[in-house]
Amino acid sequence: MSQQFHYQNDTRVISSSLLDNSSAEFCARFRKFQRRDTQCQAFVKRVIMSRLFKIIMISTVSLNAFFVVLWTDYNTKYNLFRLFEVSELIFVSIYSSEFCMKLYVDPINYWKDGYNLLDVIIIVTIFIPYGLHRFKGKHYPYLNIADGMQSLRILKLITYSRGIRTLITAVGQTAYIVASVLILFFVLMFIFAILGFCLFGTPDRGDLNNWGNLAVAFFTLFSLATVDGWTDLQEQLDNRNLALSRTFTIIFILLATFIFLSMFVGVMIIHTEASFKKFKLDLMAERHMALMGEKQVILRRQQEEVSRLMQMQKNADYKSFSELVENFKRTLQHTDPMVLDDFGTSLPFIDVYLSTLDNQDATIYKLQELYYEIAHVLSLMLEDLPQKKRSQTSENSEET
Amino acid sequence: MATSHPVGHVQLPRADAIRSRLIDTFSLIEHLQGLSQAVPRHTIREIVDPSRQKKVMLGDQHQLVRFSIKPRHTGQITHGRRLMSRLRVRCSQRPPLSLWAGWVLECPLFTNFIIFLIFLNTIVLMVEIELLESSNTKLWSLKLTLEVAAWFILLIFILEILLMWISSFFLFWKNAWNVFDFVVTILSLLPEVVVLVGVTGQSVWLQLLRICRVLRSLKLFARFRQIRVIILALVRALKSMTFLLMLLLIFFYIFAVTGVYFFEDYTRSTRQDLEYPMFFSDLLNSLVTVFILFTMDHWYALLQDIWKVPEVSRAFSSIYVILWLLLGSIIFRNIIVAMMVTNFQNIRNELNEEITHLEVQHKADIFKRQIIQRRQNLSPEVMRSSISKVDTRDPNQQRKSLVLPAAFEEESKHSADEEGSRTSALKIEEFSSKMKKSPSSSSSSSSYSSSSSYYSSSSESRHLDPIGQLDWETHVHQNLPGLMEMDQDDRVVWPRDSLFRYFELLEKLQYNLEERKRLQQFAVQALMNFEDK
Repeated sequence: MSQQFHYQNDTRVISSSLLDNSSAEFCARFRKFQRRDTQCQAFVKRVIMSRLFKIIMISTVSLNAFFVVLWTDYNTKYNLFRLFEVSELIFVSIYSSEFCMKLYVDPINYWKDGYNLLDVIIIVTIFIPYGLHRFKGKHYPYLNIADGMQSLRILKLITYSRGIRTLITAVGQTAYIVASVLILFFVLMFIFAILGFCLFGTPDRGDLNNWGNLAVAFFTLFSLATVDGWTDLQEQLDNRNLALSRTFTIIFILLATFIFLSMFVGVMIIHTEASFKKFKLDLMAERHMALMGEKQVILRRQQEEVSRLMQMQKNADYKSFSELVENFKRTLQHTDPMVLDDFGTSLPFIDVYLSTLDNQDATIYKLQELYYEIAHVLSLMLEDLPQKKRSQTSENSEET
Repeated sequence: MATSHPVGHVQLPRADAIRSRLIDTFSLIEHLQGLSQAVPRHTIREIVDPSRQKKVMLGDQHQLVRFSIKPRHTGQITHGRRLMSRLRVRCSQRPPLSLWAGWVLECPLFTNFIIFLIFLNTIVLMVEIELLESSNTKLWSLKLTLEVAAWFILLIFILEILLMWISSFFLFWKNAWNVFDFVVTILSLLPEVVVLVGVTGQSVWLQLLRICRVLRSLKLFARFRQIRVIILALVRALKSMTFLLMLLLIFFYIFAVTGVYFFEDYTRSTRQDLEYPMFFSDLLNSLVTVFILFTMDHWYALLQDIWKVPEVSRAFSSIYVILWLLLGSIIFRNIIVAMMVTNFQNIRNELNEEITHLEVQHKADIFKRQIIQRRQNLSPEVMRSSISKVDTRDPNQQRKSLVLPAAFEEESKHSADEEGSRTSALKIEEFSSKMKKSPSSSSSSSSYSSSSSYYSSSSESRHLDPIGQLDWETHVHQNLPGLMEMDQDDRVVWPRDSLFRYFELLEKLQYNLEERKRLQQFAVQALMNFEDK
């Protein structure tokens, strides 16, 4: 039976390995899959990256936003109806062609960029009114909502503005913190909503308008948290002489407004500061690395020059740099002054450097003395030890 | 560069840097290529100093001068000083008018006078407003004086602007405070001119006159440094928040347009008990409503009002309002606060740059003094021994030089180098305070030969106590950047061969140090492998 079990295991192992093999092969072939239309792809990519394209897109989106504003007014919509229809056609065609071109250039990596996903969402919202119109008829009550969402088209401008993009990446890092604080806030409101509903939402004596069901209780609590018109709500509770209403309201306002929302501000300040500092440090480090790189290049060029000079000398075979400059050194006079003001040849540097070297010397000297002592003590121990060991070894030899 | 070093040689980056410095300073590459003429032999001091300039000019005048540029913290160079350096100004018979105008404008008497006039203008205006309504004939003379005073003050302001134009017309427009002054003065001038010309009778212009006279008090902002600093900080904070405000505007737009569409039914509703029916009627009203929601004022009342209309779906309207509240007034407002706080901190640090720079310099000074003291404390014995040694040496060694002696004898023991340079450097420190920039003179080329007596005598003096709480190395690392950026022109005069030797020895020192490190590691290994047999 164990053999049968093993057999089943083996088959399962074999089949899974088969699947693995085939999928691995497929993946490999997929990755090696090369597009045949590289020239067309490069051309379209060049078009997309060109400045003219960007200018066209920015002006299209701005014009679209302006027309959306004009649409809101009924009179203008009535008079310029044809213009609006034509312009709408043009805009939708431009957006869809941009989407198709970008997808054509890079189908796989297109979906990794967040701004491309934003484009896709906007195109979907553009096509929603048409869909609703077709499938649900002209008098669908939520048609105006679909029309209202057209204002999202202006978000396409964000892709083309570098400043806003950096701002969003900087702010986006605080999104996690923001989300957690909001969730905490929601939990707090949940607790107090249940409490309020039980205390003030009873059908016989309670304030059904504001605390009748959970949703309304949430709204009331949110109104208390943003301290807008909370005195009116409190007045209504007071009129019905409900117990503990004042305490409840005041405690919630203290917790939500003063503590929570202030904590929100504090957390955001700390994060913004931290990301700012990190940004500055990154900038400094980058600049430093660039400077170091340039210095290395100059140094290497100098070394190559010197080595080339040494190889070029026909008369003698210079074995080292000092032989090369022997002649030059002889021309140097002691009475010739050279005025230098860089740090490496200044007196404070010499002092500091030599003091530091002195310190190192002192440390090593002390270390050496310690080594001597250690060696001395160990040798003393070694002298003491053989007597005991000789007696031990003699005992051992007697045993065996 | 394998050809330049023997086999088994380890490349040390520090030694390479020192060698490259040597090559740079002496322009060795040009020399070795045979282009000795391309090497500058004079420094800029020889041109600027009149005595040395004569000597140089008497010789060959086709020589090259080496410029060494060190970035320095100079103060503000005023326009007047720049003018004085111009050839045209220096060679003309009379100084130009702009110099005089600049001098007048910077004269403290004049600036205080202007400030006094601004205050006087405010007081005159206040009294005039009080007396405007009364028709007491006895006060007519007072009114006349006030009017005359106001005109006089205006004329002085115009004169000041003219002076600034004479001083430098183009620089006037580059300074934002001057443009502000100009705008305020013109604005206050315009109604008066109009009244004079004869478009009388319209009370609107008279009111404008009063308002624009008040604007003149705003000129005070430009005069006081503290107010300037605050306003500059505000403007800079706003500038860095432009993109945030642009994003906010985009969101305002989105929610305004969406609001118009979402609440069409609410606008067109025929119910009579609606309190805010026109809030979403057209785009401008919608924009104002979005702003009202941004300030979180009566949002719940508005929402409840919207709920009264049954055609509007409650879900979407609640989502709209709550989303806008969360996004706009809670998140965005706190982002704005956070960015302002960060920017203010940065701006304050930058404006205090001058103060921090002075602090760093002060610390570097203290550090320098510590180094000198340390040397003097450390080696009085060494100095005694060295002086006794020195007396037996070359007698014509002049002590007035502050340069290093010529040749250090090469030793395998690097410590000998340190000894020699340390004692000589000690001498240098003694005289450095007195004669920093005197040119070198014949210091003898005696060499300090090392002896083990140096080593033993200085070993006792090596009881180094830490400075404060830190050990020496940490202390050095902390203060080194400040020392490197010190403002003082610590120009040291080296004789040429000493400098060459210094660089060579420094490079050899690096290799010796590396070797010592390896020997130390061997010693440690040997000790660790010590086993009893």
